[in-house]
This record gives sequence, structure tokens and C-alpha cells, in this order.
Amino acid sequence: MTLSGYEALFFWIFGLAAIFAGLLTVMARNAVHSAMFLISSLVSVAALFVLARAEFIAGVQILVYVGGVMVLFLFVIMLVNVGAEERGRDEIFNNQRQVTASLIFCFLLVGGVLYSVNRGYSGLQALNQTPPDVLAAQQATRDQAYAKSATGSSKITNDSQSLGGSLYRYASLPFEIASVLLLVAIIGSVMLARTLRQEVSADDVDPEVLKDEIAREPELAKLEPRSE
Amino acid sequence: MLSFFNSTLALLFQEAERGRFEQMRHAAANPDLSKFLVIGALLFIIGVAGVLTRRNIIVIFMSIELILNAANLNFIAFSRYLSQAGSMNAVAGQIFAVFVIVVAAAEAAIGLGIVIALYRNKDTIWVDEIDLLKW
Repeated sequence: MTLSGYEALFFWIFGLAAIFAGLLTVMARNAVHSAMFLISSLVSVAALFVLARAEFIAGVQILVYVGGVMVLFLFVIMLVNVGAEERGRDEIFNNQRQVTASLIFCFLLVGGVLYSVNRGYSGLQALNQTPPDVLAAQQATRDQAYAKSATGSSKITNDSQSLGGSLYRYASLPFEIASVLLLVAIIGSVMLARTLRQEVSADDVDPEVLKDEIAREPELAKLEPRSE
Repeated sequence: MLSFFNSTLALLFQEAERGRFEQMRHAAANPDLSKFLVIGALLFIIGVAGVLTRRNIIVIFMSIELILNAANLNFIAFSRYLSQAGSMNAVAGQIFAVFVIVVAAAEAAIGLGIVIALYRNKDTIWVDEIDLLKW
């Protein structure tokens, strides 16, 4: 796969934007700023997905990550208190020795990963003897076969179609398991995020703990179903 | 040591017969699979650095999202590479990416539920103050 022309330009713009936004995510003092930078990083990566002809995954990335997960993150950031961090009183990183050790580890990881990408990619090139221009020409003929859009100015890809087809043909059991996983996640997060009040009214508190809590906060006794 | 750096730099200068600037220009104008992998690797390492260095547990979760996203970028890049090589299983990478996104969404929901429960009980989101399991 080789991008060229405007695709290459947009590749570098979005690739560098993703990396810079990722760095700012890690370094921003305010957690809300971190979330915003993470959103821009995710959108840039979605643009890279479009460049790699995975339009469906790019759409899912924006809908699920930016529209769902990041909104959840922002809600939680605003539920818990981050005021001290904004005012600059508290340190945002761990203590000095831990940060030094982990940065050294990360630099080693950078070296190792880039080295292995280089070695692996040259091995892959040796394996795949077809010259890149021939591959690009084949891709161009495949692209010609796509249907024209209504305006006639662009082509309609069949990425979503082929992905959906393969998902049901080869991965239908994992697909069902994933839906069960999502169900478990919904129920689990609702269970975890309940307040003590809600737990008492659902009669879901250990009696010993409940006795202590009622001693501290007498109005809890009114909520308990058995006491009525 | 020098050969190590040379092979790392050779990623940028992939065609040996031209001048160095010309090689760089050509490699930059035609980004291929390795450039996608390098960007994925850098995003992954930024995420690892965030997990290891930050104190705010929510930012740690965001760094984990960054790591999963870097993995997705690799899956998609390889899927594209295989589809251009004419492989029949080229969509497999995209299928994996779908499942990674599903697991990331579930993980974020559960993790943030835990964060809220933790904040209610311990009144803190700094990971160095959450040390009940620390020996």
C-alpha cells in the first residue's frame, strides 16, 4: 500500500495531529483539556482510517468513541472534583523517580518498536515481490469497478458491505459474545455507580454495614424495604 | 550501535539509489505501511507513558484508550496492506478493529463506574493515594 498525492499530504497532517494531540492528552494539566485533546487525536486517527480505506471503522470510531465514550469521560470528570488540579496546587505526575524510570522504559520501547517495525517491514517487502506500482495499478482497476455516486463526482466504496458480510460469515459467534459483553458492561456499570441510598432501597447492603450506616445517617432506615 | 541507528533511519530512506534528500522526499510523498506502523507505535508509547506517569485515574483511562486506538490503527493498516496484495482475508483486520472498539467501550463504562464508586468511598482520584492493596 502506498499513498500518493493529496492522500500523502493528508496522511502526514492527520498522523502528526494524532501524535501531538496524544502528547497533549498526556501532558495537559486539566482533565477536561486532556479529554478534548484525546477527542482530536481520535478524530485524526479516524481520518487515517479513511485514508486506509476503512470508512466504516472510521464512522464507528467517531460515533462510538467521540460520541459515546468521550462524553462518558467528560461526565465522569465533571462528577469527580478536579478543581485542585486546575489551580496548579497538586502535582499531575507521579514522583520524580517513577517518572524517570517510566520515561527510560518508554524510550527503550520506542527504540525497540521502531527497530522491529523496520526489520519486520523489510522482511515483508522481501516476501512480497510484486512491485508497488503494479499493486497500485491493480488497485486502480479495482477502484474503477465501484459504482458512481448520485452526483457522479465520486465512487461508492463497498467497504461496509464487505465488512458486514465477513462479520456475519466468519465472526458471528464472536459478534454475539460481544453483545453479551456489552450487556454485562451496562449492568455492571449501573451496579458499580449506585449510591448507598440506591443500594439500600434495592435491599442490596450487607446487614452489618447497614447498621453502621444507619447509625451515621438515620434517614437511610426509611429507605429500607423490609422496615416498611 | 551505529548499525542499529542506520537500520532505524533506513525506514525513512528506503530507496538506496537516489540522493539522500531525494530519498526522503520520495518516502515522505509516498507513505506506505511502515509509516502507519510508526504512527501507531508512537501513539502506543505515548499511551504507555501516560499510564505510567500520570496521577489522575481518569487520564490513565484516557491513555488506555490511546493504546487501544494505536492497536486499531495497526489492524487497519495491515488490512489495507493485505487487500492491496489481493488477499481474500483482508477484511479480518477490520473485524478485529470492530471487536477492539466494542471491548474499549465496555472497558470504559466499567472503569468509569469503578472510578465513581472509588471517589464516593475514598474521596480521591489520585492513584498514589489509592494504596489499599499496596504492600
